[in-house]
Amino acid sequence: MSGFSVGIDVGGTFTDLIALADDGRIDARKVLSTPADQSQGVRDALRALGAPPGEVTHLVHGTTVATNTLLERTGARVVLCATEGAADVLELRRQDRAALYDLTKHHPEPLVPHERIVAVPERVEPQALVKPLDAVAVRRVAQQTVERTPEVVAVALLHSFHDGRHERALGAALRSLIAGVDVVLSSEVLPEIREYERTATTVAEAYLRPSVGTYLRRVADELVQAGYPPPAVMTSAGGMRSASEAAQTAASLALSGPAGGILGAAHVARQAGIMDALTIDIGGTSADAGLVLGGEPLSESGGPVAGVPIALPRVLIETVSAGGGSIAWVDPAGALRVGPRSAGAQPGPAAFGRGGTDATVTDAHVVLGNIDASRMSGGVTLDAAAAQHAVEALAERLSAPVERVARAIIAAVDAAMARALRRVSVERGIDPRRCALVAFGGGGPLHACALATQLGMTRILVPPHAGVLSALGLALATERRDVMRSVMQRTEQLDRAALAAMCTELADRAGEAVERRWWVHARYVGQGHELDVPVTPDDDGAAVAARFGTLHSARAGFTLERPVEIVSLRHAAFGAAREARLTGVGTGDTTGRVRGPAVVALPDAAMWVDAGWSAGPLPTGGYLVEREK
Amino acid sequence: MSAAPFDLLDLQVMAHAFAAIAEEMGTVLVRGALSPNIRERRDSSCALFDARGAMVAQAAHIPVHLGAMPEAVRAVIARRPNPGDVFLLNDPFAGGSHLPDLTLVEAVAHEGRVAAFTAVRAHHADVGGMSPGSMPQGATELVQEGLVLPPVRLATQAGIAEDVMSILLANVRTPDERRGDVRAQLGACAAGRAGWRALVAREGIARVEQAGQALMSYSERSAREAVRALGERVGRAEDGLEGDGVTEDDVHVVVTVRQHDGRLVCDFTGSAAQVRGNVNAPFAVARAAAVFVLRTMLDDDVPMNDGIARAVEVIAPRGTVMNATWPAAVAAGNVELSQRMTDVLFAALADAGIDVPAQGQGTMNNVTFGGAGWTFYETLGGGQGGSSRGPGPSAVHVGMSNTRNTPIESLEWSLPLRIDEYAIRRKTGGEGAGRGGDGVVRRYRALERCTVTLLTERRRRSPRGASGGASGAPGRNSLNGKWLPAKCRVEMVAGDVLTIETPGGGGYGRRG
Repeated sequence: MSGFSVGIDVGGTFTDLIALADDGRIDARKVLSTPADQSQGVRDALRALGAPPGEVTHLVHGTTVATNTLLERTGARVVLCATEGAADVLELRRQDRAALYDLTKHHPEPLVPHERIVAVPERVEPQALVKPLDAVAVRRVAQQTVERTPEVVAVALLHSFHDGRHERALGAALRSLIAGVDVVLSSEVLPEIREYERTATTVAEAYLRPSVGTYLRRVADELVQAGYPPPAVMTSAGGMRSASEAAQTAASLALSGPAGGILGAAHVARQAGIMDALTIDIGGTSADAGLVLGGEPLSESGGPVAGVPIALPRVLIETVSAGGGSIAWVDPAGALRVGPRSAGAQPGPAAFGRGGTDATVTDAHVVLGNIDASRMSGGVTLDAAAAQHAVEALAERLSAPVERVARAIIAAVDAAMARALRRVSVERGIDPRRCALVAFGGGGPLHACALATQLGMTRILVPPHAGVLSALGLALATERRDVMRSVMQRTEQLDRAALAAMCTELADRAGEAVERRWWVHARYVGQGHELDVPVTPDDDGAAVAARFGTLHSARAGFTLERPVEIVSLRHAAFGAAREARLTGVGTGDTTGRVRGPAVVALPDAAMWVDAGWSAGPLPTGGYLVEREK
Repeated sequence: MSAAPFDLLDLQVMAHAFAAIAEEMGTVLVRGALSPNIRERRDSSCALFDARGAMVAQAAHIPVHLGAMPEAVRAVIARRPNPGDVFLLNDPFAGGSHLPDLTLVEAVAHEGRVAAFTAVRAHHADVGGMSPGSMPQGATELVQEGLVLPPVRLATQAGIAEDVMSILLANVRTPDERRGDVRAQLGACAAGRAGWRALVAREGIARVEQAGQALMSYSERSAREAVRALGERVGRAEDGLEGDGVTEDDVHVVVTVRQHDGRLVCDFTGSAAQVRGNVNAPFAVARAAAVFVLRTMLDDDVPMNDGIARAVEVIAPRGTVMNATWPAAVAAGNVELSQRMTDVLFAALADAGIDVPAQGQGTMNNVTFGGAGWTFYETLGGGQGGSSRGPGPSAVHVGMSNTRNTPIESLEWSLPLRIDEYAIRRKTGGEGAGRGGDGVVRRYRALERCTVTLLTERRRRSPRGASGGASGAPGRNSLNGKWLPAKCRVEMVAGDVLTIETPGGGGYGRRG
């Protein structure tokens, strides 16, 4: 029987589609994105594929709807109920300033302004409930909440990660007293110590739910009506969830698209026998660096999205403002600079012929002949003369040869990206030299050799369909549900039965699964940062402490003679793995080994093989580019 | 000219390359350090210097380290280092700042000569002296504040000088932690050396040296252009510290700023003679304050290197609080006098007609608790001054610090303290077209007997407004509602409530 798994990734410029057949064949489509309504681009991409809806067995969507809602600040009107005396938590943040030297710079405004915060007269302390929440207070809080006309209510009380009774009581009362308004509790969204991060994440969830929910319902309805299966959505953690479930965990979609890319990178790396890799995804306006360890994307907790801290599990991604559209310019002191301004999708690089006149990184590649102007996809034809003209204008101002300037433009973004790749690896104690580089996105294969050389790496994997790898990651995604609970116990206090009971509780909450994983967020007592340590229901506290020590030694270079404290227990329930065997269909225009210097045109990107490197096609499609001895 | 001369086309590439080396040193340090002050608060800085001791790149988390590290390298060069030597120092009068800041400087060996330096400064949780934490209130001599280390060889190419290490460890309260943190600093130096060597292997030594010079010249040009905006104008401002920790008397601070050939001349002549208490500072701190103030006037992406320092000239007569001499005590000068220096520098620039923000809270609000078997130190944010671009941010660290707060839940989970209130101190920023940012209020309730030490400022003198803006509200310290001085040490028993209210920032311009 035949069927397709389809991944659709909505980006700023293009909406990419990958259809993966049961026999491993891959089909790709690229259409222009439709920012006003992303679902239009989704339908356009499916129309471009042209497969009968009934043959699509899985459909996974990577969406920027949550990210855009945060960036544009167009989410719901949220009222926050917070503990009296600590209700300014969102404004207080962590007290560090927005910029070290720009004293006028402000952090992004909190998603809930001061006027929409209701102080709750209650107090829970670590070992005690010291100020009970009485019925009169509940009614008054409900009244004050109603007066602030919320679309969604967020409740985040001190120490609720450990004792959520007050939050639950207040939540139940608010639901019954205010009809039709969703109430989001911090003890459900992120039951973990540190009030600022928990409150901010809870508020983000409340802020995103209505717009994310509305969008996902519309996409699902449209697709189902057209005969497609109900779509699933990629989460920041690199797993997929059904659209209806995802609408209830809206904040976990903040990095939906980029997560797909790293998932795809991990998959192709595994098939090539590569378990540890750095990944670089170079798009039009930015580049994302990531890390694959043991064949899987490294996921960690937290990090801000659009200035909003969201402390949920997410695939590690470090973004730099360097991409094909980054604009080159000459500063007042006479130096060539590239970025952070980008020509974006509109007007785009001069070579796009849409009226852009600034020289961009893409234009530099066109000038050097790295991109074959006649072979671009996605409805774009390249205007080589316009690119030449733009770079010439810059060369004139710099009194330097055009080719020299084009090379300098590319070197500048390479330096910024190499720095990001070093950061993601060195900060985690990983030596980049023992990793391969997986280079994708429209620009990845063009920059890979230079990046690898700077980092001392000797192997590069250019995946099949490098230009639309995120969509491939989506097509291959496994279902994943994440749940967590607070623990706040030292490992020596934790026996096997207690840990097993907690693991079981989380498994019950997560529902059915083919595969389950648990890990703890743990630290030495007194530390302020935690590590993620894998555990199983058979472990006891001593085993967890030993594993923590090994990991701490690998990451930090030492261990301490101190007790280990488990902050929280996390669980991921996975659906069936969807390990597809990719075939060579969709490889570039050569089948033999290519020795650099050479340009290789790929179906949806171009690859530059530097002198001293050679590229060999892989049976899965794509290339392994290796440094020649 | 070498075969591949360096030109401005490659400036951004090399700026990234140098900055990446300093950044990676910082990563290795933070990853390897044991103490929370380095790991979480990141009270540390790393830098790369050329063979002559000019700073090529710095990864700074803490502005007070900014212009002060070159003094450390200079002090090491004066000791004629052999290639591969790593020096350890903290002597404020020989390259250091205050004693808790232990600084390592490695003379990077290349083909038998010293071709570069790496330097790593970190604030250690204890370096001995009269009180835990080595930030005593009431110290009157440097030796009371901790172990003093002039530049000494901690390691040579033969390995670590265990004798030196053992002297250090024998004089501190937490030797294991110190050993770990110093090891992390050695690791950071090594990472800097490896990064520098890799760059040299890729680009060649000549190009790396040329690029360093070109980058410094580039930053210097940007800095001098900013300074030239002063023209012939001269600005002057004075202010004072509220006691030196021994007496309540004001400590006078005055500065005159002018421009000379694109250099910002900051003349602190006329400031108080060095005092008995420990709010004195070595000369390096005044340089750091001046470099910081100039750096805030430049675009965010100007590379931080010696070029900026070259556009600054600091004059501070020896024997004053600004340029204290042995045996002055200095622990609090680095944290509080440094703030007052930036305040008067900004005020003097405003006096000369430069558009700078109004004064921020001007203090770090140092609060240290000590009980049976535990200590806890934190600093609190407050209001930043308003500016011509709008209101000042609220509840942030201003000036020479930028460390994070301690979450209420983390604090209550691990210490016998409760936070009854942590809130924005509304309407404490000065009125103005650009309002000053608000301070914060933090109310601590003791669950058991403990001692608290306060090193705070701006309790009498408000942060001033600028261009017609109003002053911010001064801060206030109290115990069970009763007023406490800016610097003091008091006993608390279970149930006592200490309230710290931090200052608001000054307003900018008349309210329209």
